[in-house]
Amino acid sequence: MIKILAACGAGVNSSHQIKDALETEMGNRGYEVTADAVMVKDITEEMMAHYDIFTPIAATDLGFDPKIPVIDAGPILYRMPAMAEPVYDQVEEAIKAMK
Amino acid sequence: MSTIIHFANTVFQPIIDLGAAPMMMIVLTLIALIFKVKFSKALEGGIKLAIALTAIGAVIGVLTSSFQDALTAFVRSTGINLSATDVGWAPLATITWGSPYTLYFLLIMVIVNIIMLVMKKTNTLDVDIFDIWHLAFVGLFSIYCGANLLIATLLVIFIGVLKIINSDLMKPTFNDLLNAPESNPMTTTHMNYMMNPVIMVFDKIFDKLFPWLDKYDFDAAKLNKKIGFWGSKFAIGIYLGIFIGLLSGQGPKEIFTLSFTAAFCLELFSLIGSWFIAAVEPLSQGITNFANGKLKGRKLNVGLDWPFIAGRAEVWAAANVLAPIMLLEALVLPGNKLLPLGGIIAMGVTPALLVVTRGKVIRMIIIGALELPIFLWAGTLSAPFVTATAKAVGAFPKGISQNALISHTTMEGPIEKFLGYLVGNASQGDIKFILYALGALALYLLIFIWYAFQMKKRNAEYAAKAAK
Repeated sequence: MIKILAACGAGVNSSHQIKDALETEMGNRGYEVTADAVMVKDITEEMMAHYDIFTPIAATDLGFDPKIPVIDAGPILYRMPAMAEPVYDQVEEAIKAMK
Repeated sequence: MSTIIHFANTVFQPIIDLGAAPMMMIVLTLIALIFKVKFSKALEGGIKLAIALTAIGAVIGVLTSSFQDALTAFVRSTGINLSATDVGWAPLATITWGSPYTLYFLLIMVIVNIIMLVMKKTNTLDVDIFDIWHLAFVGLFSIYCGANLLIATLLVIFIGVLKIINSDLMKPTFNDLLNAPESNPMTTTHMNYMMNPVIMVFDKIFDKLFPWLDKYDFDAAKLNKKIGFWGSKFAIGIYLGIFIGLLSGQGPKEIFTLSFTAAFCLELFSLIGSWFIAAVEPLSQGITNFANGKLKGRKLNVGLDWPFIAGRAEVWAAANVLAPIMLLEALVLPGNKLLPLGGIIAMGVTPALLVVTRGKVIRMIIIGALELPIFLWAGTLSAPFVTATAKAVGAFPKGISQNALISHTTMEGPIEKFLGYLVGNASQGDIKFILYALGALALYLLIFIWYAFQMKKRNAEYAAKAAK
């Protein structure tokens, strides 16, 4: 099971859209994926250590360098499948690299 | 005419009589179907909205009934009358979405956005359907204060058009803040950025009088890292429980109960907020598909919810520092009735500060502290409306004191709430309010025009830099 961390302002809107989209699309591509949505400000190094991929909306300054792959998932929010596709591809590549 | 009214009553009255949650389930499902959403998805959204409405009412009930006695004792022992409970954004969003007028204002703004795009008055397609509630809140508040639907609609369109124009004005700044290329389509029509004009006035004063303060800017990310869980929702609930418990003379057992109750309520508000956002999701996708279908081939910017800049640490550093400042201000501010709780992390305040100051964190904090009273007064002003609306949609518990009020300390669009109040009262024909409303609307527009001019100058500088 691949664990993905999505993050946004309140941890309820944009990050949930990213979480739902990634779980659905990666499931369609045959990967077992689970994603959590949190507030950006609540992310710590300790929390990040429990995940395999970090998918923020845009460049995120956390005060530390994440040790897991960071994939910009903002285009998922545009609600246009063609623009979200490259994000899904990057996530898939990251998963393949882990296996 | 009477036949039509009789027919409408026959069809709609039984649905209205079911109560707000079932009614909104039916209305949201039907509207989603109109936008060609699959029936199962449309119904799923409708059911989630009904569940969110029911749940938010239950949690407001727990919070207000737990704090009712302590707040009364707090007022008695301190003499500070902060009698309205700050429940944060999620209950207000859910309550606002509990009104069918919100869907009406949404449809109006979708049409306005498409017209502006077709007429090339904007380059932004707003897909942040969920946040229409900020604007709908202003429309509903003006109706509560006396406006008819036409006046409320005109007010919503007026502010809505400026919001869309603002999204175009801010676009190059977002690219700068995100270090993103010109091709990045992200922008936003979010209501919190309508404070930009006021913040820019303060920022210009800073430029003239206190530019030396900028050299004291600190590393925002490091501060946030140090704060860690101490700034989380449940930690804030604990602080406020202890604060109110101590000042109202409660015993240790009661203080612990208050603290843990506030903590779990704040956590649950966010959780329920996420259900309700999920409820609107099928409709959001349906509307976006519809609008994209009308604008084939056009390269557009995309209006998102504000948090695509939440990765900038200054947003959170300023919010963390402003939280205790707001608490102190709330205690001494004349006319304020709100004790900060659910809205104490000022997410509705700091993104606009970031955009105008472009990340100068000392300016963000000082200007934020100066503008917070506007938010507290607007929250106090709208508390009777919020409470009445919560009761109307069944999201306010029975058995709570009739005088108990709920509101939100840092809700986006405080100035727009004052406009809603003035326009609503002016609609009653009172000449004093008509003059106030006209003056306020003119001032609001003028300061926006000045701000737009400043942003165009800023954007020309970005363009010149990119051309080098």
